[in-house]
Amino acid sequence: MNGIAAVFYRDYRQRITNVAWVFWDLFVPVAYLMLFGTGFERAFAERFIVDGQEVRYAEFLLPGVIAMTTFGIAMNTSWGFFMDKDSGIFYELLTYPITRQQLLLGKICFNVVLSSIGSFLVIMLGVSVLQVNIRWTLLPLTFLAVVVTTAGWFFLFSIFAIRLRRMDSFNTFTSAAYIILMFISTMFYPVADMPAWFRIVARLNPMTWQVDMVRFSLLGAGSPTTIVLEGLAFCAFTVVCLVFAVRTIDRAA
Amino acid sequence: MKAIEVEQLRKIYRSETNKPLHALNEVSFHIPQGSICGLLGPNGAGKTTLIKILTTIITPTSGRAVVQGYDVVRNPLEVRKQIAVVLQQTAVETMLSVQDNLLIYAYLHGVSRNAALARMRSVVEEFDLADKLRETVQDLSIGTKRRVQVAKIFMVDSPVIFLDEATTGMDPLMKRRVLDRIRTEARAGRTILLTTQVLSEAEQLCETIMIIDHGRMLASGSLQELRRLSEQLFRVSLSFAGINGELQNRLEALKPVEMTIDGKNVEMVFRGEESLLLDQFAEISRSVPITQFEIRGADLERIFLALVENEK
Repeated sequence: MNGIAAVFYRDYRQRITNVAWVFWDLFVPVAYLMLFGTGFERAFAERFIVDGQEVRYAEFLLPGVIAMTTFGIAMNTSWGFFMDKDSGIFYELLTYPITRQQLLLGKICFNVVLSSIGSFLVIMLGVSVLQVNIRWTLLPLTFLAVVVTTAGWFFLFSIFAIRLRRMDSFNTFTSAAYIILMFISTMFYPVADMPAWFRIVARLNPMTWQVDMVRFSLLGAGSPTTIVLEGLAFCAFTVVCLVFAVRTIDRAA
Repeated sequence: MKAIEVEQLRKIYRSETNKPLHALNEVSFHIPQGSICGLLGPNGAGKTTLIKILTTIITPTSGRAVVQGYDVVRNPLEVRKQIAVVLQQTAVETMLSVQDNLLIYAYLHGVSRNAALARMRSVVEEFDLADKLRETVQDLSIGTKRRVQVAKIFMVDSPVIFLDEATTGMDPLMKRRVLDRIRTEARAGRTILLTTQVLSEAEQLCETIMIIDHGRMLASGSLQELRRLSEQLFRVSLSFAGINGELQNRLEALKPVEMTIDGKNVEMVFRGEESLLLDQFAEISRSVPITQFEIRGADLERIFLALVENEK
């Protein structure tokens, strides 16, 4: 078995033997979609204008929930590095005949499969229960965005999971990242009417780039030029995080 | 052929105050293929640092280390293809079953599914793990976890095995079985480098022994060579009909390194010429009959302590 496949199998066995983990990976975004999608749409705003296009709140939220799915799965998988350090297996892994890149890529492959299943589930629920109209023809683009963004988030969280020695420090970091990256972005609301500082932070936030890409592919909302730039920016973000993650593994020993 | 070759290896860590800490200082040695080599030293001597460099976990500050012809810095992946490692700390996948631990280890070493399953059957028999295959490792005792960790390395046929205090926490029966297995592997041509705190284990098992302290190689060679190096240490066991104060004074006058009196029996450790020592005891026996006399070379523990003490 080659290195990437072996790491994939390892992650698969780790997750499958802890079904609760997989359940929360998939359940949390679905719960957000159903509760926020239904509740907010009826309570506050039935329709939004996004880049000149009128959309329902459930439609607006759906791409954000897909981003949340990839983000949550990447975060939980990177937490696995802590378990590896705790059980002592992390340092033994470094003596196996696989490269650091293969280790990360094997993990990311499993993440991508899980994220794709989660995203597909979210889309199907959005379409069937919340009657969201999506552009089926651009669905492959949505899944391409899911692949790249899952990788980017995983590499980012891995850097901190490997570097930080204390579990509570990592938990603090992930909680802060969860709040800042998700809420100062276009995930839950349009940022056009927000204060200037908020808009600037949101524009620089990779979560905004991800949500915008998925929103464009699913709903057609947004300027193609902006989406291309955001896509390129996210790819660069992913590559930089990968480089730092590999370096962090090398230095961790 | 040399399985492991180390030349002028140095490793300097930086402390939190940026003070350099010499974990390894100009260490050189080589280990021939198919031999068992013991690496001994007190805690903090540099043993684990050396193992970490040879297993590519960390890189040396300077010097050269080659495993099976591959440089650990230039070809780390090739080195990793040649080795199997049991680290000092327990390293098992705690959330997975024993079976998953063994199979995943084999897969990560490039073994196919069928070959891994076949190998697993013999390994679990040998390590008494057959009835625990489906159990989650976190539910096992510390000794059994250690057994799983050691069993893993026999799932693959890597030519070089590193064992960093591998038998710690094992029951005596299993420890003996592991030591026997190590001997068998060496006879089959695998090279084994082990560190241990149990000196009798190294004495029984190793053809070559290296002693390091404060990052420096104090001595290396066979047990016989180390005995010579440790300034001719001898252990003498004596029995008398009775021991009075005068006899005790005469024995102390021989200036033993160590002396223990237990009833009529005396255990002494001497440093010096064996023939001179025999003459001195012959002189004593003329006035006080010696009922039993045995002289033998010092055991590894004594040699180890002598070398480390000399270094201090």
